[in-house]
Amino acid sequence: MSASWHSLLVRIGEQCPEYGGLADAEDHVETCFGYLARDLAHSEGEILALLMQCVEELPHKDPLYGALVGLINTEDKELVGKVIKRTHAGIQEALDTDNCNKLRILTRFLTVLMCNSVVSPSSLIEFYEALVSSAATTIDEDGGNPTWQARADFYVFCILASLPWGGIELSERVPEDLERVLNGVEAYLNLRKPVMYSALQVFEKSGSRSEDGDDTEMKPMESDDYLQCLWFSIQALMENSWKVDSVPRPHLSFESRLVHAQTHDFDPVSIPETPAVPENATEIMLDRQRQEAERTYPRRNMHLRIFPLSKTDEKITPIDRFVVEEYLLDVLFYLNGCRKECAAYMVGLPVPFRYEYIMAETVFSQLLLPPKPPFRLIYYTVVMVDLCKALPGAFPAVVAGAVRALFQRVAEMDVECRTRLVQWLSHHLSNFQFVWPWEEWAHILELPKWAPERVFAKEVLEKEVRLAYWEKIKDSIASTPKLIKLLPPKNTPVFVYAPDNNTSAPEAEVALATELTSLVRGKKTVREIQVWIDEQILPTQGQQASIQIVAQTLLYIGSKSFTHTITVLEKYCQIFRKIAPDMGTQIAMIDTVSQLWRNSAQMTAIVIDRMMGYRMVSNLAIVAWVFSPQNVQQFHTSDQVWEILRNAINKTNNRTVDLRKEISAAEKVLKLAAAGTVKAHSKWEAAVAALNAAEAKSEDSRNSLSAKVDWAKTVADKAQDEETSAQDSLESKGALLDRALREQEALFLAVYQSFADLLTDRLSKPLPEPQEVSNSLEDAEGEGADVEAPVAMEADEENDEDGTKQRNQKRTTSADPQEEEQWRKCTLGYLRAISRQYCDEVWLLMEKLDSTVFTDKVHPLVTSTTYAGLRRSL
Amino acid sequence: MARLFKNPDQLSAYRDRRFLGSQDEFEHALRTSTTVYVGNLSFYTTEEQIYEVFSRTGELKKIIMGLDKNSKTPCGFCFVLFYTREDTEDAVKYISGTILDDRPIRVDFDWGFQEGRQWGRGRSGGQVRDEYRTDYDPGRGGYGKLVQKELEVRRQLVEYDQPVGMGGVQYPNLGEGGGGNEFRRGKDRHGNGGNRHREGRKRYRDEDAPPADGVKRQDRELKVEKNPRFREKGDSDEEDGGDGGKS
Repeated sequence: MSASWHSLLVRIGEQCPEYGGLADAEDHVETCFGYLARDLAHSEGEILALLMQCVEELPHKDPLYGALVGLINTEDKELVGKVIKRTHAGIQEALDTDNCNKLRILTRFLTVLMCNSVVSPSSLIEFYEALVSSAATTIDEDGGNPTWQARADFYVFCILASLPWGGIELSERVPEDLERVLNGVEAYLNLRKPVMYSALQVFEKSGSRSEDGDDTEMKPMESDDYLQCLWFSIQALMENSWKVDSVPRPHLSFESRLVHAQTHDFDPVSIPETPAVPENATEIMLDRQRQEAERTYPRRNMHLRIFPLSKTDEKITPIDRFVVEEYLLDVLFYLNGCRKECAAYMVGLPVPFRYEYIMAETVFSQLLLPPKPPFRLIYYTVVMVDLCKALPGAFPAVVAGAVRALFQRVAEMDVECRTRLVQWLSHHLSNFQFVWPWEEWAHILELPKWAPERVFAKEVLEKEVRLAYWEKIKDSIASTPKLIKLLPPKNTPVFVYAPDNNTSAPEAEVALATELTSLVRGKKTVREIQVWIDEQILPTQGQQASIQIVAQTLLYIGSKSFTHTITVLEKYCQIFRKIAPDMGTQIAMIDTVSQLWRNSAQMTAIVIDRMMGYRMVSNLAIVAWVFSPQNVQQFHTSDQVWEILRNAINKTNNRTVDLRKEISAAEKVLKLAAAGTVKAHSKWEAAVAALNAAEAKSEDSRNSLSAKVDWAKTVADKAQDEETSAQDSLESKGALLDRALREQEALFLAVYQSFADLLTDRLSKPLPEPQEVSNSLEDAEGEGADVEAPVAMEADEENDEDGTKQRNQKRTTSADPQEEEQWRKCTLGYLRAISRQYCDEVWLLMEKLDSTVFTDKVHPLVTSTTYAGLRRSL
Repeated sequence: MARLFKNPDQLSAYRDRRFLGSQDEFEHALRTSTTVYVGNLSFYTTEEQIYEVFSRTGELKKIIMGLDKNSKTPCGFCFVLFYTREDTEDAVKYISGTILDDRPIRVDFDWGFQEGRQWGRGRSGGQVRDEYRTDYDPGRGGYGKLVQKELEVRRQLVEYDQPVGMGGVQYPNLGEGGGGNEFRRGKDRHGNGGNRHREGRKRYRDEDAPPADGVKRQDRELKVEKNPRFREKGDSDEEDGGDGGKS
């Protein structure tokens, strides 16, 4: 019996064996109460701890936990006093540590406790008012600090978000007080600045949906501003006499007992001061502070509507939608990593209506949330898979419907969201045998190759091939064989020096490559090979050709797998470094890699990433290569080069993050070592003092004391050595961090400079005159892979020819005005996404970027797009 | 997070018997490790597929494929090494149980790769689990090794006694394709029986040569036709890097 209260408490309100045949949540509360009453005497501490944990981590069941506490209050007032004390401590801690979820949930729980006559309504109101007044102070221009509006907004949100759980009771018990709070909230809302998420949208233009012209029009209350949006819902709730279907009210069954219990007061909390406005603050400093506030109090969800409203919002009141979203978001947050429970709770919420569509919209809104999802993308993939398994009859169709609807709007979709959707969909399908009705999308073959729908489908197939293998994916599109054009080529390396290959490579080069291959196979040492390269290749071929011969040959030898590749890179590291010592040659080396692996976007990205890891190519060389003319032409047709750029940025950032961690560890070591030195020295000094004091004593005791001095000195010296080496290690790490930070700065400057130069040039040119559109269709023919083609086919041949042609004619823009427009939109989109994604790093360099990149010469759209991504005011 | 349903002390259900330290040391190793063990892979799953899946929880340092100690071919497990603990934890948390090559893969914390751990520990060279399996698993070489041997013995009897057909002999639940393969393999093995040992030794030096075991080779070749994920490069077999990634 001893542990049974544990599972009863956790499983309360669920259909589970613990509660046997009991179906009603009220019965559960009663049963659980009975068990708890029995065990409280000897397990009070544990029970309280578990109760508070359940309250926080299973917040959709807070009405049940509240009713339980209410019943306990009828018998053991003292114990409930402890519950309130813990709640108080929790809220205070959440306020002090900016713990958003804890603050929001405990505010809700406090409201529930009020419903159960555990906490007096007046002290709840007092708490609300403290929050509102703090919020109002924060946004006050004089004396406050409006840059911290994100926190003020959140405080007000906590109040409004708890009203579905107790609005009705408050309006019955303390109507005037409630009105006062709501007036305070309204006054606050009128004072604050509405929040604009223009750069944090999934779709560029909201509202213009292409869905069968049905009921998907925007309602005025569908504001981006989450607080405003909730305020509208609360007003509607008020008009509806605070009636909420989605919130269970178990306390009603116990009302007759609860009224006899004594209510407790909830002591005032102390709301932290708003951080002060820095003196002589510049615009950038203020923006930076606002950004910090928004990072501390991030937006948790967004307004994403995928389905027609008839399937979602029209069936329920806005507040019910809000409550269901809260439930789902909380399960997603607190049960992250518990796959079974997460899916079970998501599908088993205590609401009297169906919500699969809302559930899908909520998971998608998290998955696509800019600037980044709360958890890794793969978490949402796993959740979606588990939900499909938990509701096999309903959810897969809903997910498919969502994909269709999102696909229809993919042209308006933010480029980074599109990339996430591709990542998710490919992985999702790989968990379901790659079954997808591709025939529905066959029409995209009639679109030009840069059309977003087409790029999307192509990217999904490419990622699918990475997760499986070419033939498998080919089979998966068997219903629409012509879609094979969108498949990437088979991922074999293209070795231009293969002896039996009728390549255009000059014979001399082929011979050298063949000899190099046999040297490697003959197990010549790296040194021998280096000497041979220096003597045989470099003098005759020049550096560019030498790079190609050496890099192609060595990488081809290592092309069999990822491990083979890194083995070759590690073993011949010196050769790679020596042959491409500077930016120009490293760009040539990256080019060689992309030629060898032209059939595999994945291997191209991996090899470049590893080369950067081994410092064979610099991050700056990668940026320069990404912005080279042949790649610029692909900005709108493929994510490949962007993937490579993202990898380079991530790797650069990871280096600084890792070094910072190492430094803080090294600082700890140094501190310990320093303390050790001090201790050892004082012992030594004491020993010396003892020896000096013993001057007059016998020789024996002097000898023994002097031996002690010697020993103490040895120990002290050793401690000193340790401290010195810890100091050295810290210093060398510090130096490494300095270098990493310099590299990071140089990288971002280069990225923004490249964007600025390229876009300023292209945007200042007029759109090209329309030409015959057939052009793009012809290109499309050669884009994909042929079924029966040999493994080493070159799928992008026509693209490349096209690229060469264009370069020869010195045209920097596309021929087709629509394509040029798409290119501009896409490139600006990536600029915005990169600014958004790395805004923490970029903000640190803002002054420098302003003075070097964002000058008057830059096209205004470049500056405004970057600023929008950074959420910086113009 | 999610402390309610997770036993934080339960790091892995699997206790590696080859780990030489104490239970405490083992748990400490698991708690701090940045290596995961990946199990229930298909023999045909490539490093690049593994890279694609596991890079979704963070930057990878290395992949070490588990190899059959006789044939030096993948035998259905691998180690993935990350750079950070956080990424490692996410891999265990999210990737375990997801599907790769139509199989749910298993991801556990591992106490750390050491030279030698890449080899299968089963008597026949592969993983122990593939010794005793009685089901037919096309992604993992068909039947378990013991069942295969048993089938072999019976088949040879069939070939000597009734070279034309299989009549009269009971085969345990042979699947359609599986049955045929097994039969052809039997013949081949019979024919090549004498060379097996030498071939096996050659494999150590010559990565790209067909697997030592005639049974296995036939099986693989048949699969390779259906599932050509290996970058077969014909004449370009090389020896560097053929040793499972130790350099």
